[in-house]
Amino acid sequence: MISSDTQEESNLAQGNGLAIINSKAPFSSDFGKDALDVALIFGSFEQKISLFFQGDGVYQLIAKQDGTLVSIKDYLKTFSAFEFYDIEDIYVCQQSLVNRQLDETFHIENVNVLASVEFGLALNRHQHVLRF
Amino acid sequence: MSTLHLVRKSAFTTNDFAQCLSVLDQQDAIVLMDDGCYNLKHPLMDSLIKRANSTVSINVIANHAQARAIETLAAVNKIKMNDVVDLTFNHQKVITWQ
Amino acid sequence: MKTLAVVVTTPPYSPLTVTALTYVETALTAGINVIGVFFYQDGAMHANENISIASDEYQAIAQWQRLQQQYQLPLHICITAAEKRGIACDSVDNEQINEAFTVSGLGELVELTTKATRLVQF
Repeated sequence: MISSDTQEESNLAQGNGLAIINSKAPFSSDFGKDALDVALIFGSFEQKISLFFQGDGVYQLIAKQDGTLVSIKDYLKTFSAFEFYDIEDIYVCQQSLVNRQLDETFHIENVNVLASVEFGLALNRHQHVLRF
Repeated sequence: MSTLHLVRKSAFTTNDFAQCLSVLDQQDAIVLMDDGCYNLKHPLMDSLIKRANSTVSINVIANHAQARAIETLAAVNKIKMNDVVDLTFNHQKVITWQ
Repeated sequence: MKTLAVVVTTPPYSPLTVTALTYVETALTAGINVIGVFFYQDGAMHANENISIASDEYQAIAQWQRLQQQYQLPLHICITAAEKRGIACDSVDNEQINEAFTVSGLGELVELTTKATRLVQF
């Protein structure tokens, strides 16, 4: 558990937590799963974490996918655990969806679709950023 | 809060630089490093530099550009790694685009 | 207080790792408190004792080892990433792990990011 000693007061609390940008499609590399592992560990340590999906990363969110058809453990199903880990802030880049002719049908709820400017502003509210 | 963006990939190959530009804020800084140096010759760089009233600081690690025989531009600052460290702390956070 | 945590995701034989190393060493020389380097994804390969890079090429592992010794720089390897890449982390004395590196988990990444004022990823 992270110490709650004021001297070690989480730097994450000063900005607003960690932002993870997902930029890769789900089934051709480990980046999505590796990002998810980081997100869940932060969640389990009760650290504030927000998820951003941009570029091909938006493919991780679209509905009706089935990784098992290509023998991939379907880690996307774990996204439904976000709420349990208090991961509530999920942002998708609208332009990335539009470029890929995707409509806003996601396999999880509470996804915020943001135009580029707002997407950038939301990102800016975080103390640290990792991108996968 | 201003951000330092480390751009390590060529825009001729990936979308990373374009994605970086879409979240760029007025007081941010960009450092081109590794294959990000190739972006000096990319249309996106051209439009970034030509943006009216742009206050974004654009930098390239001189050695990285020189290693690749890429000419730098007047509008882009040639810097060294200790400048990258300074920039890290002059801005509030760092995003790596790779 | 300027504190820095670094994440390395590239393998020891990648030219991209040279950039990461140069950045970290520059920060250390400048007196920045680099509280740790976390090796994730392909970065976990740094722990592999069996890696042999041609002697006329850049020796990333030896360089990290030098920084670890000179500055007591903590080098954390993500255990899951390491095991996936064939580095056995379950033996008693971790003989497959280069001794400059500490076998850790993602929890360490949480620790580092909560303590650091800057987090930089390579």
